[in-house]
Amino acid sequence: MLALQILIDGFAISALYALGATGFTLIFGVSGVLNLSHGALMAMAAITAWAVADMVGGNAYVGAAAGVIAALICAFVTFRLIVRPIQNSRAIPGEEKEIFVLTGTLLWGIMIQEALAYLFTNTPKTVRPLIEGVVSIAGVRVPYNEVLTTAISWAAIGLLWLLVNRTRMGKRLLAASMNPRGLTLLGHELSSIYLLVWAIYGILAGIAGVLLGAFLGVSSDNAGTLTASAFSIVVLGGLGSVSGSLIAAFVVGYLETITAYLISPTIRTVPVLLLLVVVVYVRPQGLLGRR
Amino acid sequence: MYGRKACWDAADMLRNKIFLLVVPLLVVLALLPLGADGYILGLLTLAYYYAVFAMSWDLLFGFAGEVNFGPTFLIGVGAYTAALLNHYWHWSIPACLAAGSATAVVAGLVLAVPALRLRGPYFGLVTLVAVLLLQNMLVLNAGLTGGEIGLDLPDVLAVDDTQNYYYAFGFMVVSAAILFGLSRSPVGLILQASGQDAIEASALGFNVAKHKLVAFAISAFFSGLAGAMLIFYMGTASVGTVVDIAVGVNVIIAAVLGGRRTILGAAIGAIFLIGAGEVLRPLGQLATFIVAAVALIVILFLPSGFLGRFLQPGDRQ
Amino acid sequence: MGNCCIFLPVKGRKLMQLKGQLIMYNLRVAALLGSVFGFAFVATAAQAADPIKIATIAETSALGGIGIPRAAKIAAEEINKAGGVNGRQIEIVEYDDHNSAAEAVRAFQRAAQQDKVHAVIATYISEVMLALEPWSGRLKMPLITPGAASNEITKRVHDDYDHNKYVFHGYLASTQIADSVCEGAKKLVVGDLKMKTAVVMSEDAAWTLPLDEEYLKCLPKIGIKVLDHIRLSPDTTDFTPIYNKIEGEKPDVIITGISHVGVQPTVQWQQQQVPIPMFGVSSQATNATFWKDTNGAAEGVAFQMVSAPDVAVTPKTIPFAQKYKAQYGDWPGYAAYTAYDDVYMWADAIKRAGSTDPDKMVEAMEKTDYVGTIGRINFLPKGDTFAHGMRIGEGYITGLIAQWQKGNPVTVWPDAVAKGKLGFPSFVKLPQ
Repeated sequence: MLALQILIDGFAISALYALGATGFTLIFGVSGVLNLSHGALMAMAAITAWAVADMVGGNAYVGAAAGVIAALICAFVTFRLIVRPIQNSRAIPGEEKEIFVLTGTLLWGIMIQEALAYLFTNTPKTVRPLIEGVVSIAGVRVPYNEVLTTAISWAAIGLLWLLVNRTRMGKRLLAASMNPRGLTLLGHELSSIYLLVWAIYGILAGIAGVLLGAFLGVSSDNAGTLTASAFSIVVLGGLGSVSGSLIAAFVVGYLETITAYLISPTIRTVPVLLLLVVVVYVRPQGLLGRR
Repeated sequence: MYGRKACWDAADMLRNKIFLLVVPLLVVLALLPLGADGYILGLLTLAYYYAVFAMSWDLLFGFAGEVNFGPTFLIGVGAYTAALLNHYWHWSIPACLAAGSATAVVAGLVLAVPALRLRGPYFGLVTLVAVLLLQNMLVLNAGLTGGEIGLDLPDVLAVDDTQNYYYAFGFMVVSAAILFGLSRSPVGLILQASGQDAIEASALGFNVAKHKLVAFAISAFFSGLAGAMLIFYMGTASVGTVVDIAVGVNVIIAAVLGGRRTILGAAIGAIFLIGAGEVLRPLGQLATFIVAAVALIVILFLPSGFLGRFLQPGDRQ
Repeated sequence: MGNCCIFLPVKGRKLMQLKGQLIMYNLRVAALLGSVFGFAFVATAAQAADPIKIATIAETSALGGIGIPRAAKIAAEEINKAGGVNGRQIEIVEYDDHNSAAEAVRAFQRAAQQDKVHAVIATYISEVMLALEPWSGRLKMPLITPGAASNEITKRVHDDYDHNKYVFHGYLASTQIADSVCEGAKKLVVGDLKMKTAVVMSEDAAWTLPLDEEYLKCLPKIGIKVLDHIRLSPDTTDFTPIYNKIEGEKPDVIITGISHVGVQPTVQWQQQQVPIPMFGVSSQATNATFWKDTNGAAEGVAFQMVSAPDVAVTPKTIPFAQKYKAQYGDWPGYAAYTAYDDVYMWADAIKRAGSTDPDKMVEAMEKTDYVGTIGRINFLPKGDTFAHGMRIGEGYITGLIAQWQKGNPVTVWPDAVAKGKLGFPSFVKLPQ
């Protein structure tokens, strides 16, 4: 049942990609920041989860929680210590702020990556799966872990959608991404919006990292590739558009899976790269991009 | 807008500062082989090639305002063209260098096309994808290109340390002179204007697109040439030394550290980065961490870079 | 000196100049004599205490790599405590190469030209070793690798002896490793488990080309039919499609050749409950922390080693492993055993040569007959296909097969030193 296998595996990988990319695009949409330390953040969450689980004698849940909390803290640090000072800096002219934030987050990502390698070596670590064992779906053997990864990813994305579209806080977030100044005119504090969005980002990236660690395993060496992957998906879908990233994540996830199964595992990433080139030349704002 | 006279006065002043800083430094560096040992010469040789990488990048970013995440695309194309021609068809080194830089210019123009239509992060992604594609192509065709092990070259620039040093040093000085001269010329000023505000620049009657294409071509030429020379210095061409994203990251950091839009700052940044990497070598794993941390601190507190304040042409009002 | 004369009246200037010149002349002579004596003094004093410097170049953020400097230091300490070499102490100088060929070359150049070491022990990555090899010849610096496997290393010594003679291969070549795996498979896989078919799964890297070539030759010779040969990118993170493909071909066993990847394929093998056992080369499986890194998914992974902490391959094996564990908290990785031996062999070569002259060291090293932790080490001579590689076979170096069982690596072959039998997790299906 190759087709079913591809369907299921593609779905799992896409869900994971979607989770990682959503946070990335959210930060860009609301805060205007392309966080190049994204991959390092995810790797850190996964490795923290592994380390803490080990320390408390193998409890996977405690480890996972620790990983997400670590990501949350790191996201705040990234915002307060790096992004905000650059954005508020008087010494940097406005049009150059973007490149400085990019370089700043890039360097921060390198620091995190090297610190992880120093403390934990660059051997890949696997986060303990929350549920062990396999289940048979219509004749295809699927690890429970994979099912869980997909379920949690979708739950997180669903919660985010609810937050943005149904709560007052969420609506403010949406407004801030469209017109920050308008929002302040209405009397709302922009700074609390930014804090909120970075907090959401931290949690999303943390969950994505921990799930990735459980599903595939993560090492400090993966930080760069994870960032590049999120970046690509987000640009494909349209920078700043959450629904765009979701669709793009599935396109990329399935394209990779189909290539790996039907053509060759070695050239897994090539079709996606080619697609990116085509999109950037033909429709540079991505599928659903606004800016 | 400065009046013409004021423009040249400012330029004179800057030029003097530059003279005071740069010329004694160049003299010292030129005389270095008389005293320093092979190890230091080798280090600086590598640093000089990186300096040209960084200066080319600065021309593109600092002046034309194009964020290039993948300087190693241009460097790699130049380097591998030269390497393949030398390894398989035994072309002479000068011929390979010429072919390498020519191919790099073509690659640069290919990259320039989307640049004219995209802004900021989108273009950045194109450059990133270009590097990833190049890397994949090279690694997947490992039988032809040597993949990760690299391609060893029958010819090298020189075996002697001092000779290699002077080749690199001379190349860097000439490239710096050309790039710096360009940046201060009317073409450079137009580039700068196009980079900072393309609309106003074209409103003033300048052909923004043409100037950006020129910037790409020049940046590509020097990047490709430097890449080709680098591999003939090392005797092998490998993905890890001329294509890997890490190399590109180093180039960007060097240019930003040294001070964007200064050209010479990029060279200083590159030498500093390579030097710091070696000085910190005894620290083993933490060396990269510390270099990144220092670079981050410089960016946060000294955004003009080391030389920015000295050498930057005044921002327009 | 010219300046001092500016302020003097014209008449006295000429006199002052002559006097000044005489003083300068005297000073110069005094300086010359002083420096000659000083140099002689310093030179003799220095020579008495001049340490023998051995450099280690490896990636210290990798488990496989950090064992190299650590083990080297243990060896150096022991030698120094026993009096050093001809009265001289051994000093280990460490370099981190971040597993990058370019960094390793720079470190090598620094070691040779700046820090003036006398020998180098470098890396377990073939690509890095191959990049260092020509520099060993250019800088006339004796170099040995405790872990890289590519056949190319010794081939270069064979093809251009005069230039590359400074290089020694302190580990098995890929072809020899494949033969070792086949030997073990003959007894365990074919003999005990009655398996008939296999798929070879290896990563696309320099060292696996000759490994796979030899696998494809020696496996049929022991009665195993090779159904497929899969080479995967060392950057692979998702092994599901690969296991899926292999499972579709229904082999009895997967013969592995992996080093850059190890944790991820093993974890995914267990999570997906792939019903086919893995047997062969998995460098990461030789790390003491492999069990922890895989959260126990390593159960049942059978891998080839040349030394193990529970097997007295020689009387030196277990004491070294114990000492390493006591000092660093973990059992040594595979390159640590050989790095330990390499320090002893360099020291021995220098002692026999009576000097640190590179050519004399090489001559002495070629005559090495040393019982290390991995067996009795002899280097193959100049004309041999694997020139400067180690002699393999009964009485020299044979290799072991070990398997992770309940948190520990247990040696299962050869019978003479086996501590347990092969056993697999329940999801693995064995032929009846």
